[in-house]
Amino acid sequence: MSNTDYLLIFIQFIVAGGFVTLVLFVTHFLGPKRKTSDKLETFECGIESQGNARLPFSIKYFLTAILFVLFDVEVIFLYPWAVNFKEFSSTNMSGFISMSIFMGLLLLGFIYIIKKGALKWE
Amino acid sequence: MNSEFLILMKQEMGVTLILFILLFLKIWDGIKENGILLHLINVLLLLNFLLGFVLNQNGELFNGMFATNSLRVMEKSVLNLGTLIISLQAYDYLKSHKHLLEFFMLLLSTLLGMFFMISSNNLLMFYLGIELSSIPLAAMANFDMDKIKSSEAAVKMILSSAFASALMLFGISFLYGTSGTLNFQELVSLITGSPLQVFALLLVFSGFAFKLSAVPFHLWTADVYEGAPVAVTSYLSVISKAAIVFVTLSSLAPLFSHLNEMWYHLLFVTIILTITLGNIFAIRQDNIKRFLAFSSISQVGFILLGISSGTATGATSAIYFLVVYIFSNLGAFGVIALLSSQTGKENISDLKGFYQTNPLMGWVLAISLFSLGGIPPTAGFFGKMFLVTAGAAKGNYVLITIAALNMVISLYYYLRVVKAIFMDKNETPVEPLRGSLSLRLALLICMIGVVGTGFAGGFFEHIYQLAAK
Amino acid sequence: MNEIGLTHILFVSTMLFFIGVYGFLTRKNMITMLMAVELILNSVNINFIAFNKYLYGDKLDGLFFTIFIITIAAAEAAVAIAIIINLYRNLKSIDVDDADIMKF
Repeated sequence: MSNTDYLLIFIQFIVAGGFVTLVLFVTHFLGPKRKTSDKLETFECGIESQGNARLPFSIKYFLTAILFVLFDVEVIFLYPWAVNFKEFSSTNMSGFISMSIFMGLLLLGFIYIIKKGALKWE
Repeated sequence: MNSEFLILMKQEMGVTLILFILLFLKIWDGIKENGILLHLINVLLLLNFLLGFVLNQNGELFNGMFATNSLRVMEKSVLNLGTLIISLQAYDYLKSHKHLLEFFMLLLSTLLGMFFMISSNNLLMFYLGIELSSIPLAAMANFDMDKIKSSEAAVKMILSSAFASALMLFGISFLYGTSGTLNFQELVSLITGSPLQVFALLLVFSGFAFKLSAVPFHLWTADVYEGAPVAVTSYLSVISKAAIVFVTLSSLAPLFSHLNEMWYHLLFVTIILTITLGNIFAIRQDNIKRFLAFSSISQVGFILLGISSGTATGATSAIYFLVVYIFSNLGAFGVIALLSSQTGKENISDLKGFYQTNPLMGWVLAISLFSLGGIPPTAGFFGKMFLVTAGAAKGNYVLITIAALNMVISLYYYLRVVKAIFMDKNETPVEPLRGSLSLRLALLICMIGVVGTGFAGGFFEHIYQLAAK
Repeated sequence: MNEIGLTHILFVSTMLFFIGVYGFLTRKNMITMLMAVELILNSVNINFIAFNKYLYGDKLDGLFFTIFIITIAAAEAAVAIAIIINLYRNLKSIDVDDADIMKF
C-alpha cells in the first residue's frame, strides 16, 4: 500500500466528518423552532415515560438475571456438539447419550431452582 | 471399556452418586429429620472411603486427560476420610441448620473437584478441578448468612481466589503457546527454560502458592478462617490444603524438572518467609481460629521444605506429614467446633481453666496441639522429623537452621495454649460441654490417628513404595 | 507490517492483562474488582485463541480451553455477585475499605 492510498482514506474521513457537522449546523438554522413541553420529554417508544431510569431496582431481577446467565452460558457446549452432529449420529448413540446426560444435569438444576421458588415473582 | 471406566473413576463416581442422592432428596423433600440425613451422608462417605481399598488399577481415561494409580487412590482416600471426620464433627452445627443438604452438596462438589485435580494429567482437567474445588468453598464460607464476618470472609476469598486463578491461567496460556500441548508428560519434555516459559511458570507457581497460602500470597487466609463457620474453616485448612500439596507433588514439581536451580531458589525464599512470618503472626493472636490459621501457614512452610528435596523420600515425608496433620488439626478443630457451637466463645483466653470443667476435651486439644508442635510421642514429631531430614539432604544448612529455630518458636505458642488449658486459674471457666456421639467418634478417630500413625512404622514405608513407582 | 500477526494479538491481550491487574489492585468497589478479573480472563481467552490459530492450527486444545474458561467465569461471577449482595445486605456498602472488621 502506498501513501496515496492512505490519503484517499484520509479524504474520506474528512468528507464524512465534514458532512455530519455541516448537516448538524444547517438544520439548526433552517428548521422552525416550536418548543412544547411534550416535545422536550424523553422519547420512549411513544409511551409516556415514567420516572427516572436510574432507580434502584428489585433484587428479584438480579436472581433471574444470574440464573439466565448460568443457563445461557451452558449452551456454549452445544456448539461443538452440533458441529459434529452428523458423525455422532451415523456411528452410534454415544453422542446422543453424552448430550442427554449433560442436559439431564441442567434439568435437575432447573427443577431444584423451581422447587426453591427462585423464579416465583410474588 | 465401560467397566474399566467405572473402575478407574470409582471414587469420583462414588462422590457424584452421593451428590445425586442428595439432590434427589432435596427435590423430593421426603426426609425432614436433619439427624437422619447426617447419618445417611456419613454412611455414604464411609462406603466411598472403603471403595478406595478395592479394585485398584492404574490407567488413563479420556485420551490421557485423567490418570490414576495407587498413590493417587490413596491420596483421595485420605481426603475422603478427612471429609468424613469433618462431617461427623459438624453434627452439632448442622443438626438444626435449614440448608443442610446444600451444605453437603457444596462440600462434596469441592471434594469432587479435588479428586479430578489429583487425577488430572492435563492442564484443562487441572483447571476445571481447581475451580470446582474453590468456587463452592467461597459460597460455603458465607454459610452464616446473617453474620457480617462470614460474608466478609467469603468476599475476600472469592475475589482473591478469582484473581489467583486468573494469574495462573495467564501462565497456562503461555505454557500452551510455547509448547503446543496441554498434557503434563509432553509438557515436561518441552520445557526448555526460555524467558517466556520462566515467566509462565512463575505465574503458575504463584497460583499454587495462593491456594497453599504460602507467604507472599497468604493475606486472605486468616480473615477467611476467622469469618467462616468452624466446619468450613477446618475443611479449608486441612482438606483443600492437602489436595493442593498432592497436586504440587504430582504435577507442579515435575514441570520444573528442567529448571532445578530456579525451582529450588523459589522454594528457598518461599519456605523461609512462610515459616517465619506464619510463626510471628501466630504468637500475637487471641482468636483461636486465627491462631490456627497462622500456625497452618507455618506448617505449609515445613511441607514445602520436604518437597524442596525433590526426591521420593521428600514426597513421602510430605504425604505422611499431611496425613498426620489432618488428624491433629481436625482433633483441635473438633474441640473448637464444640466450644463455638455451645458457648459461642472462640478466644484463647476463654480456654483458661478448661481442664477443670472438661478434662477429656482438654486432653484431646492438648494432644492435638502437641502433635502440631511436634512433641515426641505423637505422630507430629515423626512427621516434622521426616520433613526436616528430607530437606537437609540438599545440604542447605541456612534453611535447616531457620526451620529448626522456627520449630522452637512454634513450640512456645502451642504450649501457651496448653498452659491456658491446664494451669491458668479462672474464676468462671467454660461450663462442661456435651458433645454428640458423632463428634466424640470423630475425636476418637483423630486421637487414634495422632498416636497410632506415629507408632505404625509400616505406614511410611507403604507410602514410600507407592511414591517411588 | 500490513498483516495482523501473532505479536499484535499478544500485545492486545497483554495490555488487557495488565489493565486487569491494575484495576484489581487499585479499585475499591468490589464489582469493579470482579470486572477487572474478567478482563484478565478475557485476555487469557484471546491468548489461547491466537496461539491455537497461528501456531497449532491442526489441533483444537486452545479453543476448548476457551469455552471452559467462559463457562467457569460465568459461574464464578454468579457466586461472587451473590456473595457481594449478601455482604451489602449486612453492611450497606460494597467498598472494600468498609469490609475491615477482621484485621491482623
